[in-house]
Amino acid sequence: MCRLNILLIMIPLSALLIVGAAVAFFWAVDHDQFDDMDTPALLPLDDSPQNGSEMQ
Amino acid sequence: MSPQTCWHCGEPTLATIPIHVEIAGESRTLCCHGCVAAAQWIQQLGLWDYYRLRTGPARKPSTSPDDDRRTNIAWSRPDANQHVVRKAGNGHSETMLLVEGVRCSACVWLIERVLGAVPGISSVQVNAASRRARIVWDDSRITLTQILDLLSRSGYRGLPLNSQSLDDSRRRESRDALKRLLVAAFGAMQAMMFASVLYLGAIDATDTSTRQLFRWLGFLAATPVVLYSARPFFAGAWRSLQARQPGMDVPVALAIAMIYAASLFEAVRGNGHVYFDSVSMFVLFLLAGRFLEMRARHRAGDLTDALARLTPPFADRLVRDGTVERVSVHELAVGDTVLVTEGSIVPADGLLLSAACRVDEALLTGESSPQARSRGDTVIAGSTLIDGPAQLRVLRIGNDTALAGIATLVSRAHAQRPQLAQLGERAASRFVIRVLALTALTIAFWNYVDPSRAFAAALAVLVVSCPCAFALAVPAAITRAISVLARHGVLIVKPDAIQSLAAATHVVFDKTGTLTDPHLSLSDVSTTSRVTRQSALQLSLAIARASRHPTARAIVAACGDLKCDPQDSASHVIALSGFGLRATVDGREVRLGRADFALGSAEVLPTDDCVVLADDAGTLATFKFSERLRTGAREAIAGLQAQGLQVAVASGDAIAKVASIAAAVGVTTWRGRLLPADKLAWISAMRAAGARVIVVGDGVNDAPVLAGADVGIAQAGGADIAQASSDVVLVGGRLEALPLARQIAQETLTILRQNQRWTMLYNFTAVPLAAAGMVHPWLAALGMSLSSVCVLLNALRIGRRSDRNPVVHAPPVTAGNLPQGCVV
Repeated sequence: MCRLNILLIMIPLSALLIVGAAVAFFWAVDHDQFDDMDTPALLPLDDSPQNGSEMQ
Repeated sequence: MSPQTCWHCGEPTLATIPIHVEIAGESRTLCCHGCVAAAQWIQQLGLWDYYRLRTGPARKPSTSPDDDRRTNIAWSRPDANQHVVRKAGNGHSETMLLVEGVRCSACVWLIERVLGAVPGISSVQVNAASRRARIVWDDSRITLTQILDLLSRSGYRGLPLNSQSLDDSRRRESRDALKRLLVAAFGAMQAMMFASVLYLGAIDATDTSTRQLFRWLGFLAATPVVLYSARPFFAGAWRSLQARQPGMDVPVALAIAMIYAASLFEAVRGNGHVYFDSVSMFVLFLLAGRFLEMRARHRAGDLTDALARLTPPFADRLVRDGTVERVSVHELAVGDTVLVTEGSIVPADGLLLSAACRVDEALLTGESSPQARSRGDTVIAGSTLIDGPAQLRVLRIGNDTALAGIATLVSRAHAQRPQLAQLGERAASRFVIRVLALTALTIAFWNYVDPSRAFAAALAVLVVSCPCAFALAVPAAITRAISVLARHGVLIVKPDAIQSLAAATHVVFDKTGTLTDPHLSLSDVSTTSRVTRQSALQLSLAIARASRHPTARAIVAACGDLKCDPQDSASHVIALSGFGLRATVDGREVRLGRADFALGSAEVLPTDDCVVLADDAGTLATFKFSERLRTGAREAIAGLQAQGLQVAVASGDAIAKVASIAAAVGVTTWRGRLLPADKLAWISAMRAAGARVIVVGDGVNDAPVLAGADVGIAQAGGADIAQASSDVVLVGGRLEALPLARQIAQETLTILRQNQRWTMLYNFTAVPLAAAGMVHPWLAALGMSLSSVCVLLNALRIGRRSDRNPVVHAPPVTAGNLPQGCVV
């Protein structure tokens, strides 16, 4: 019987995790994370400071 | 001449004197002032890392920055502006630019840095794949013209797209599909997990309450999949029923609903098999197939949309007070006077007011040699002015022009073409209807034999035969084929082109620009006894490199192929538009150009394809030009003929020229002097005789035929309208990829047929067993997944053979074997 008791905890727990993952994924899709799969790959490689003051 | 290339754009520094500039502590060699300006500007912004991050050379900046600047200013005219800018509220505006010159992610990085740091620009999003930039800015702080100027300074060119391209139904569609796919994947995983407990008997089989718990857990996992992920199928089925044209969605939706409802019924009853795992996986596989299809469609759409939505160009209108203003072509009216500069495109059909000019109508008519026009002649929109400037009085605008007439022909040809795309859909639909009929038969049979088993058996038939593999077979193979072909420089714009490509029996090539290079090439040099051939070439090179005239560029290119150094003593090169070039060499005057100009006598008649080098004592050398065969043209035709295809040449050019090119590539069937409508008629006649025709072309005059053929293949460098009406685009004009493309298309069809046969085989074995009530739910689920995986793995085999033997590039055909000059 103890085997089944542990199931009663594990199954809701797994369901909770799934729902959490789904919510996180929906958030990511809605925040442009999957719109462009090619471009951003290179962008974080370099992070030099921007000299915006020289622009105009 | 040193083989140096420009640090910025990677072009050889031959055409002009190389410039050495100190940038980032090192001396760099650059080819022109445009590149210098762009490189220094990038350095000044502190974005030097661009050169480290990039994987290819940058676009060569415009050689006429003033002209670009005027176009940029013209975009602020209300008439042009309203088409491309959308008001985004609270004083912000939004536009979509097609950015010319975006080649890799480093370009995206650079553009986002350059524009992102400007006060007033609130958002910049650049997509490297579709070369588009979405920009949002504050109207009170910056204008569209300033933004376009910033791009020009960095070496790019921004072309605002019609504001319709901002309405991204496409982005919404792909986001929705992703979400549904993920929910289906999660649901299917969970449902499978709970179901395997029931299948494998991990829990004591006699414990009915636990079994019942897992049935309901399966229901919990499958419910979001059926109610959320599968909604497009239900919506599609409902729509098609309302339209009284039931499609593939109807049986699919029916099957999903039936399996789900029956399983729910069994769960409530607390007895028998539930199929919640099967129904979730069914939805997952179907969605995966649709997702692949959607991706391929969007990629193709990016390409064609950009072409179709490019807003019309500008024209230089002469105002009464003598000044010139740049206006959009929409604003032109009949009777306006427009100024066309050398090398630019004629904006409207017009009457020539200047004395004389020559126009290149190659893209419009296929005529390869420039056409001379004199005062009072008509010049048609879309042709390129070779020597100018010229003044025109506008005769016809917009839909009345010859160009628009061709566009109408294109749309008519498109409408007449049968749509192959729906055939596959119909086959799958028929299959599902048969399955449903079989299910009904099973119920009837078991009702007669043993009513208690009828329900379970019918359900098993439905699950076992559900067309997952069927749904995946086509999109998986097509998507794989598209990506393999793209690697070889063949872009598939319309996915059903693959089927037609494989089934083709005839190939028709256009001549000008397709089989031959659109640029002139030096074919013959004859010298007088006063100079050697070598020194005549060296002298001409020194003079010709100051000009961008097609013949001057042909001389420079030929000298480059011959590894010929310029003679350094030429100075004071002056270009006389329409005549030629004058320079001072060792104190004497030397002229290169039309015969009458070079010899200083009006009695000599100039000929079109001949250029004379002369000094005051007379002729030094005569250069002849001709079109040259494109790299790989001969190999491509030989390859296609080896595959058993009939090859023909159709051209608008003079008969003799078509004949000589056809002979050079080994084609016996050819026709010359064809108008666009004649070409279309010829192709239609072929098709009426049962032939499946591939047409390869690049010009405006080819567009109707490209649209009317079974497969239209356009060159990436050709006219926009030709690309927009084609199914396949060849990148970089790589004709030699054509035989390979057809081979891959045939391979794809073979794999498709294998997949369909395999699915059939599986169904023929499994369905009778299921109907006999001998298939357990776990076996049904396993069979369904395995058949789908087999289909996917089989699709991955496409292109394996060609990857192992990559295309061998033939050495370029050059003017290297020029015949030795004869003495005149």
